[in-house]
Amino acid sequence: MPEITFQTGEGVTRIFAAPDETLLAAARKANVAIDAPCSGNGVCGKCRVCILSGETKAPAPKHLTKEEFEQGWRLACETTAQTDCVVDVPDIASAYRSRMKTADLSSGEELELFRSVGAALAEAGLGVDSGVSVIEVKMDEPVAGDGLPDNERLARAVQDALGIEDEPEIPLFCMVKLPALMRESGYRVKCVVRENGGRADILDVLPPDDDTPPAGLAVDIGTTTVAAVLCDLRDGGILAKASSGNGQIRYGADVINRIVEQGRPGGVARLQDAVIRETLIPVIEAVCAGSGVPAQRIYRVSLAGNTTMEHLLLGVCAEYLRTEPYVPAFFAAAPLDPAEIGVRLAPDCVMTLAPNIGSYVGGDITSGALASMIWDSDGPDMLIDLGTNGEIVFGGREFLMSCACSAGPAFEGGDISCGMRATDGAIEKASIDPESMEPIFGVIGDTAPVGVCGSGIIDVIAGLFECGIINGKGRFVRDGRRVVRDEFGAGYVLAFEDESGTGRRLILNETDIDSFIRAKGAVFSAIMTLISSLGFAASDLNRISVAGGIGSGINIANAIKIGMLPDLPLDRYRYIGNSSLTGMWAHLVSRPAAEKLAEISSAMTYIELSTEPGYMDAFVAACFLPHTDGSLFPSVQGGAK
Amino acid sequence: MSFEPKLRAYTAPVFSVEVGSGERKLTLGGESVQPLCFFDKPDQPAPLIGVEVSDVGFEAEGLPELAAFYEGADTLAARAVKAASLPGASFVCLHFEGADPAGANKSVEDCVAEAKEAVAACPLPVVIAGCKNIEKDTALFTALAEALTGENLLFLSAREEDYKAMGAAVALAYGHKLGAESAVDINLAKQLNVVLTQLGVPSASIVMNLGAAAAGYGFEYVASTLDRVRSAALEQQDGMLRMPVVTIVSAEAWSVKEALVSEEDMPEWGPREQRGIQMEAVTAAACLASGSDAVILRHPVSVEKTAAFIAALM
Repeated sequence: MPEITFQTGEGVTRIFAAPDETLLAAARKANVAIDAPCSGNGVCGKCRVCILSGETKAPAPKHLTKEEFEQGWRLACETTAQTDCVVDVPDIASAYRSRMKTADLSSGEELELFRSVGAALAEAGLGVDSGVSVIEVKMDEPVAGDGLPDNERLARAVQDALGIEDEPEIPLFCMVKLPALMRESGYRVKCVVRENGGRADILDVLPPDDDTPPAGLAVDIGTTTVAAVLCDLRDGGILAKASSGNGQIRYGADVINRIVEQGRPGGVARLQDAVIRETLIPVIEAVCAGSGVPAQRIYRVSLAGNTTMEHLLLGVCAEYLRTEPYVPAFFAAAPLDPAEIGVRLAPDCVMTLAPNIGSYVGGDITSGALASMIWDSDGPDMLIDLGTNGEIVFGGREFLMSCACSAGPAFEGGDISCGMRATDGAIEKASIDPESMEPIFGVIGDTAPVGVCGSGIIDVIAGLFECGIINGKGRFVRDGRRVVRDEFGAGYVLAFEDESGTGRRLILNETDIDSFIRAKGAVFSAIMTLISSLGFAASDLNRISVAGGIGSGINIANAIKIGMLPDLPLDRYRYIGNSSLTGMWAHLVSRPAAEKLAEISSAMTYIELSTEPGYMDAFVAACFLPHTDGSLFPSVQGGAK
Repeated sequence: MSFEPKLRAYTAPVFSVEVGSGERKLTLGGESVQPLCFFDKPDQPAPLIGVEVSDVGFEAEGLPELAAFYEGADTLAARAVKAASLPGASFVCLHFEGADPAGANKSVEDCVAEAKEAVAACPLPVVIAGCKNIEKDTALFTALAEALTGENLLFLSAREEDYKAMGAAVALAYGHKLGAESAVDINLAKQLNVVLTQLGVPSASIVMNLGAAAAGYGFEYVASTLDRVRSAALEQQDGMLRMPVVTIVSAEAWSVKEALVSEEDMPEWGPREQRGIQMEAVTAAACLASGSDAVILRHPVSVEKTAAFIAALM
């Protein structure tokens, strides 16, 4: 039995491996993190490790160059140890964890999305109103004859200040603070209270000079990305925003692979740990550090995820989501104390999860529907959320229909050999010169490019197609300095060794383009199937909101050129960012919006695409640039019949 | 009151594709009615039958009638002449299965020499079929197209993987006709036609090979695909699906168990050869009824039966 020694940036781990056990399987057993978005199927080429000593067996290198193979680089999912081995796990393997991105709120761009949703909700009568306020109360000092205990003294003062019928209850953790706090402050304290009809809950007691805002946390747990904003519960103001790759990525890029993984022994706990301890808690630490608000001042959490993510977050078995008849453990979970799942915030903090409506249409979509205002329009409107699962909501005030399609992680940079999330170093905008075939990039953080995120891939593929470098099938048909070919197909060099931030060539190859064409085909065919199932045509769409964390925005014109979105005038489209997150922000800071969310989720109808007879055909027709039926894209050159 | 049939003829016909040169010429497609609906419009072209002959000879074991027909025909050219003599045959398909690197792996030069001899001898127009190996077919078709310039042959087939080389060599450089092969899917068929025409291959040089299955082996997919392709051409006038369809029935029909199992193993099924003929003839009839403009068959009796079937409906 060979012994494998894994060297990582965090230290050395040793484990004995069975002779036919891959390095990836051994690493998982030893709890060594190796990035494997395709769950070890030899498809993505991301689980590269370097063999420092020992003998290994691996097939011909498909994702590695000959030089890399000779230097000892292997894919962990395809390699088995023949003798004792020392394996170096490169730092990029843990990059999905360190790819924390704290948003720069100073530019105002990030805040604008929240501001506009807030304004639209306010106009619809769902303005900011969380019921949370901070009041300062002055109490009489106890004297002989006034022997009221501290807790009742405070409760009465709060009752008088708010003019409510019932005396509020003082929770234990506040009572613990009270004796010292009241006497040191001369019987003046600040109270964080939450009014609720004729009652009030005391969320915290603080010294009178404490000006820390009472904070709430809105969270979107995506399959690929976890994002959160910290806001002031009094006025909804954004205090900080951060995002990070979901630590579960190494257990599989999509929800099906995650469900498979959670079904293995200890899997539920492993996946819960990956999303909470490795991802959510660091994100919370980041927003707290960014705002100066300590975690114990977070009094409310509103969280949305797809149905699988919500199950795995709560440590609930998700197995039955993927087996007929696809019944989840819950649609709507009861509000809970986040400490129960290991997230320690304010002692009486309450976490609310957005309700799911189907096994594959989750709380993130109900939340997005709230933020997109689709429920308040004459319609028909559409919300398209471009995530690992593409979800679509169609309708308006009269009706709401939704469906989900498995787009795969391509929009978030997964399944793409040079793909990455929209963080520093990602190409997020691109254009290609039709003559020279040279690219011009916009890179996040203005650095040298290290990868390409979803919005960048759309631009690159649109550019390659428009310049006649690739054909409708995504095959390279033109040659030039940046077009390289090898035995596995052709590719376009986004950055040569001396242009990239990693020193390695960045290539978008035909396999990547195939993955992306399938993703866009899934989205487009889902859009068309949903619309036509109700007898509408794409041209009936009034307003289309495109959501998703695929970059700082997407070039709609390019998305139309490649046949991802219907060929409609650009002014009918708008990009609304991470609508699941903005929806949760609204849920957090506005009680009427929270009620609206419950109403939306009970009113939305879910269509299962896999049982729609025409979907598969529509999908194959859409896996072409721009589409097999060119008449659907009259504005795209070469698309007309 | 007499019965007034409602005629269903279309204004835009399936494209006509000419194959062959000089005296040996045929036209594929050109009809403007649904399959076999000759009553809808007068003077519609009949579907055609091609006879397949292989460069590696013929199977004698268990197929006495086939063996007797080709007896003494020891060269591809001799077999082509024999095949062309069959009543009802409109063209001969030279099948270079011996070129397959996984099989006899005959050299390109040998295949070219055999093809030249066969084309010179055969009194009917000729269609070339490859060995299915992408690299070998590309090399073989390029060499054949060059050696037989001016003959205006039909080459089966270009696929998604090799359409560029095939289109450039066979159709653009040497002016032959090209089959576009896809796997029983209307969208994939259309996509291949789009990229071929974008390459510069004229629509009138493209024939569709949409794939097939033996009757009873998932044939409903074939029927549905053929049917929808024909409807897209006639009813929607989709210019990327108006090319005529050629279906290679022989390989499908003769590779299922009904046509392979010997009489010793299955005495209750009867003679193997009769079963194979039935499978081939039934599949051919089903393809013609669904929308094929031509079928390629192997057995002389299947050719006879299919020709009679077409004649009876004309």
